[in-house]
Amino acid sequence: MRPVFRRFRTNRPALVSMAVLGTLVAFCVLAPILSSHDPYALDFTQQKHGPSSEHWLGTDFFGRDVLVRVALGGRASMLIAVAALAVAAVIGVLYGSIAGLVGGRIDNVMMRVLDGAFALPRFAILVSLVAVLGRHGSTYSTLVFGLAIVSWMTTGRLVRGEVVRLKQTEYVNAARSLGAKRLHLLRKHIGPSTFGIVTIAVFLELPGLVLTEALVSALGLGPSAATWGNIAWLGIQEGQLSHVVYVSMGLAIFAICANFIADGLQEALDPRAEQAIPEARRGLLA
Amino acid sequence: MLVTFALMRGMGGTPFSTPLEPHSGVPLPVELQLREFYRLDEPWVVQYLNYVRHVFTLEFGPSLVPPARFGAERGSVDEVMREKFPVTLQLAGLASIFAVVLGIPLGIAAALKRRSAVDYLASSLATGLLVVPIFLFTAVFARYLVYGTHHFPLGWDDWSTRLLAAFTLSLAPIGYVARLIRAAMVETLQEDYVRAARAKGLRVKRVVFGHVLRNSLTPFLAAAAPTMALLVTGAFFVEQAFGIPGAAQDLVDSAERRDYPMLMGLTVAVVIVVALVNLAADIVAALLDPRVREEVT
Repeated sequence: MRPVFRRFRTNRPALVSMAVLGTLVAFCVLAPILSSHDPYALDFTQQKHGPSSEHWLGTDFFGRDVLVRVALGGRASMLIAVAALAVAAVIGVLYGSIAGLVGGRIDNVMMRVLDGAFALPRFAILVSLVAVLGRHGSTYSTLVFGLAIVSWMTTGRLVRGEVVRLKQTEYVNAARSLGAKRLHLLRKHIGPSTFGIVTIAVFLELPGLVLTEALVSALGLGPSAATWGNIAWLGIQEGQLSHVVYVSMGLAIFAICANFIADGLQEALDPRAEQAIPEARRGLLA
Repeated sequence: MLVTFALMRGMGGTPFSTPLEPHSGVPLPVELQLREFYRLDEPWVVQYLNYVRHVFTLEFGPSLVPPARFGAERGSVDEVMREKFPVTLQLAGLASIFAVVLGIPLGIAAALKRRSAVDYLASSLATGLLVVPIFLFTAVFARYLVYGTHHFPLGWDDWSTRLLAAFTLSLAPIGYVARLIRAAMVETLQEDYVRAARAKGLRVKRVVFGHVLRNSLTPFLAAAAPTMALLVTGAFFVEQAFGIPGAAQDLVDSAERRDYPMLMGLTVAVVIVVALVNLAADIVAALLDPRVREEVT
């Protein structure tokens, strides 16, 4: 077994988090399949019921089963976040490796731009972006691209740092002295080695993205499908605070687990690094 | 600024056809007249130059849509900003005072009693505050404190509501600040100079406040940007829940209504304020830390 996995296996908080997160994901995937309730079917005879044996978490304003909707919403929220992260990771990796590889003045300028982007109020910009990108009302892709545009920076910075470090390693130097071109270095030697840091960045950013999606939708700016944010929004509108609580619990569990996993990955991938991920870099924030 | 402008131009539709209402029912001659008044038919370069000129003179022009709320008068973006921005700034200012006053002691307590019950309690409280979404707090407080009692009237006129709103807004930053201070202090406490200071007989209090805290402030100041982000994000929900007439509310409204000048004006203003605060934090960090001071000069 590869040492990374072996080290990760000994990290108890990370393992527990994996299990909890796995359960949460399984619930979100399986509940809509196993339940006999249609999450979108309106039933005005069943409006705003409390928890019962029929509807474990009660029903919402439209008589829909909340348990199924929370599961479905979780699935949608996580998918949006993961898709946004995939886009953001591509932007971040490209940006970071270009800056790190080219170096010099261009690197300097690119990093100052990144600092500037970091300092911007993400959420306010996202609210405008959602309005701009969602020409005819907001959809999944509106949120995915909006979120990606405001959250590629962590990946970008981490990748750049890693590329700069790798550039000075002996095996890269050896490859370069054999006449390897920059692009070849990036593809064959540096690129694959940044995989670990990208994984860490992804788990660091993930909770922030899920939370941000929920916050945008909770303002009533999200897509019309069930997401955690939308369920919370309807709960607030209709005074059904318990629904807001369910969603918040899902979000909180998700955020905490993802953070422990990021810590575990960091330790497993680079056990010599004394310093944990700096508190200021964590993606707990929306 | 060019980016915001490009985004707003790229925004689908016009005030005459929003995603919500494809046909506003405005008669064509009226629409043409309005288009001319707002110069919507000029080439974008001209529009952009006009816009830049106005931004530097802090005139964002008239709003395209009359305000939604009952009793409010149709206003220009500047009026709205002059009226609403101070409210949001006060809210955020009060909240950051709360965050510093409550968050720093929490972090210190956790760091000093590391791995004790106090630490676990304080740390999990801080993490909890940070991961629970703000809309849960605002919804609960609005339901039970604002509507449940008579002590907190809606709006921004009463001090009790102001304090409650600022406190609600400060919850996530409190958790953030506490976690930061704890992390920074735990690290500083292990430094040799701390042991030296203790060894030469200084009291714990003196060491903590004179040596440890001072050296833990730099990472704390570096976190000003995320803290500001938390405050801005929270302001949207706090203003909505407590009926506070602030700028965040207008930002959401203008986003929903495709009101370009308003959306642009408010976004640019928020960005400028946040950038200024971050700049100030960097400068203070430079003054506190001789290492940074050397880098600057």
